[in-house]
Amino acid sequence: MAPIVQCMGVTKTYGRKIALNQIYLNLERSRIIGLLGPNGSGKSTLIKIMNGLLKPTAGDVLINGQRPGIDTKFRISYLPERTYLNPGMKVIEVVHYFQDFYPDFRMDRAYDMLSRLQIQPNERLKNLSKGTKEKVQLILVMSRDADLYILDEPIAGVDPASRDYILHTIVSNYNRNASILLSTHLISDVENILDEVVFIKYGSIVLQAGAEQIRQNEHKSIDRFFREVFAC
Amino acid sequence: MLGKLMKYECKATWKFLCIANLMIVVMTIIADITVKLDFFAYDQDNMLQFIAIMVMGTYVLSMFAMVIGVAIFLVYRFYTSTYSDQGYLLHTLPVDKHHIIIAKVLVSALWIILCEAVMYLSVIVLIASNGELLETITESLDMIISLAIAEDVQLKGLAMVMTLIALLFNLFAKLLKVTACISLGQLSANHKLLFSVLYYFGIYVVQKIFTAIYFVITITMVRNDSYEMELYGWESMLVSGIIYSVVFYLITWYVMDKKLNLE
Repeated sequence: MAPIVQCMGVTKTYGRKIALNQIYLNLERSRIIGLLGPNGSGKSTLIKIMNGLLKPTAGDVLINGQRPGIDTKFRISYLPERTYLNPGMKVIEVVHYFQDFYPDFRMDRAYDMLSRLQIQPNERLKNLSKGTKEKVQLILVMSRDADLYILDEPIAGVDPASRDYILHTIVSNYNRNASILLSTHLISDVENILDEVVFIKYGSIVLQAGAEQIRQNEHKSIDRFFREVFAC
Repeated sequence: MLGKLMKYECKATWKFLCIANLMIVVMTIIADITVKLDFFAYDQDNMLQFIAIMVMGTYVLSMFAMVIGVAIFLVYRFYTSTYSDQGYLLHTLPVDKHHIIIAKVLVSALWIILCEAVMYLSVIVLIASNGELLETITESLDMIISLAIAEDVQLKGLAMVMTLIALLFNLFAKLLKVTACISLGQLSANHKLLFSVLYYFGIYVVQKIFTAIYFVITITMVRNDSYEMELYGWESMLVSGIIYSVVFYLITWYVMDKKLNLE
């Protein structure tokens, strides 16, 4: 079976600045993959290209063997690093919004997670804290039965106490045949759930390896290894 | 998916636009009462006359406020939902870009038509409540119609329908010009909104040049008796409306589909 994501020489430039430089990357199915790199390394740019929000300057990205488009959007569940919901809407309205547009959206799963996190469905998004809004977005994204979940900094905006719950939510709610691509620079929080890691630096892939393989070969945690690779 | 997009577009816009229309309705009722109570009469108290002037002034201002407010609101709505943070949601929905553009333009057009209808109705109500003004307007209309009959001008039903269709296409063209300019502005790395405004004025100037060229050519042809066409007829309005609608639609679609750049 073809990889869920194939990047073939993906390059993205903004004027003279190179955000991504000749990225060749294959991501396999049924794996949780960490896209790890410091701020400004190109993680979000690569993710946006996969979601069709940015066009690459050169190269190609295939999701499920297809270029980003309507078909791939049916299969990708994407959590951006920013609040993308209309603040005037109620939580229940955005839940119905997702149900209307995504056939794989599981209403029962969404309500279950909302109740576990004690988020009131009739609350307006503008009245929620930034962290709670991010939780609502995560609930929406994880309530889908997608083939690929792309989560851009899912724990960056929430307090440390909530991070474990969010990671638990991610791991316990995704479709087991699917892959998760999780971008973050908070490695110590996520490294225990990762099957594979991709290190990205200055817009180039510097390492792609299994999480366990790194621990065995380097005799250190991924967080420790990351700090060495990206030491200033 | 088009129906769903339109449904959520209506949901996101109805509150502001209903409040704007409600404001006009309330101002019309107050102005109507002022007219009916004859506050403007010469023999009325100065204070009552002052109140009447204030009410009518506020009424006129509320009309301007609605026109400007609705235009700004619809432009802002398109920008925020398409190219700001909310664009991340819109552009990751599994929907055709054509449907996104059509939904936004159709809903905006419906609101503008509704707002204009409310404004015209408001003016008609005020005219109807003033007997003298109504009489003058009715007499003027009678005179215009009798003159038209005498001049043998054909007021054909078809022409009226075609004029309405031409007006509709011109409305689409105006809305799509805004979406095209905002979309073009997104192509620049910085100052996206500033560039959108500059594109708008640039396109406005180009349109004026095209209009001037069209009139020069048509006038020349009419003078040479080689061409019979009304300069201000529905034909030219319809053709320009369709052409501009298609051009601006294609620009918006091209940027959204091929050059999307959400940073």
